[in-house]
Amino acid sequence: MPEPITRRSALGRLGAVGVAVAAGTLGAGAPAGAQGPSPAFGLQESVQDGLKRVFGGRPMRDGTALIKLDIPPIAENGAVVPVSVEVNAPMTPASYVKSIWIVADKNRIPIIARATLTPEAGQAFVGANVRLGETTDVRAIVEQSDGTLLVAKREVKVTVGGCGG
Amino acid sequence: MSDIGKIRIRVPSNVKAGDVVRVRCLVIHPMEIIQRDAQGKIIDRNYNYITRVTATYLGKPVVTFDLTQSVSENPAFSFALKATAPGPVKVSFVDTHGGKYEGTADIAFA
Repeated sequence: MPEPITRRSALGRLGAVGVAVAAGTLGAGAPAGAQGPSPAFGLQESVQDGLKRVFGGRPMRDGTALIKLDIPPIAENGAVVPVSVEVNAPMTPASYVKSIWIVADKNRIPIIARATLTPEAGQAFVGANVRLGETTDVRAIVEQSDGTLLVAKREVKVTVGGCGG
Repeated sequence: MSDIGKIRIRVPSNVKAGDVVRVRCLVIHPMEIIQRDAQGKIIDRNYNYITRVTATYLGKPVVTFDLTQSVSENPAFSFALKATAPGPVKVSFVDTHGGKYEGTADIAFA
């Protein structure tokens, strides 16, 4: 015998639909059924929204003294821009750099990549080739194991954008 | 794209125990970007790009990259690791089409 529709069960089902819809929007950058990245990725949004979503309102300290953000000041081809980030901080199990985020402010997908490190690395260094859509600030955001956030920023002039659409 | 998923990993050849070495790797992959039609609307399909890169050394994870479509075609990565013993560095990639690619390189002491 089918379960009679009560107000409670109807609300419950609506809630489930709501969750499914929310999950759908989060995965907009990664279509359903794919081996999805964590939902914090691949969203088209403004950099302010992205940082707020990922880090909440947590304060960020200026880490220019510690972070060496190596990126060419002028990128002729925005499709391939080598970025490397080196953090002058100890990598011991007690205190290490937990993750390094690379953010390009004006990209349609501003939060480009996150590197999660373990103390095995011995040195907080990561490099990657990224796309830049237009002349923009590039930030490296470093999260240490105690939760401290450090940020360093450089402007890159892009002659030919590399993000297409 | 028959070359898709081809991985090259470079480790320095002259390594001493305890050195912090930098490893570079490159994977051949299209890293498709979002396309738009004439009206500027996003064409909705399953774009093929790498979402996750994991590097392990002696079986222990060293670094994990989570990537988006803002990363270049044929992406190259580099990272550091502390060479404690000779052994393999394994790098594996996962893309949105379910592809899994793996490459290894050996760290040998001089």
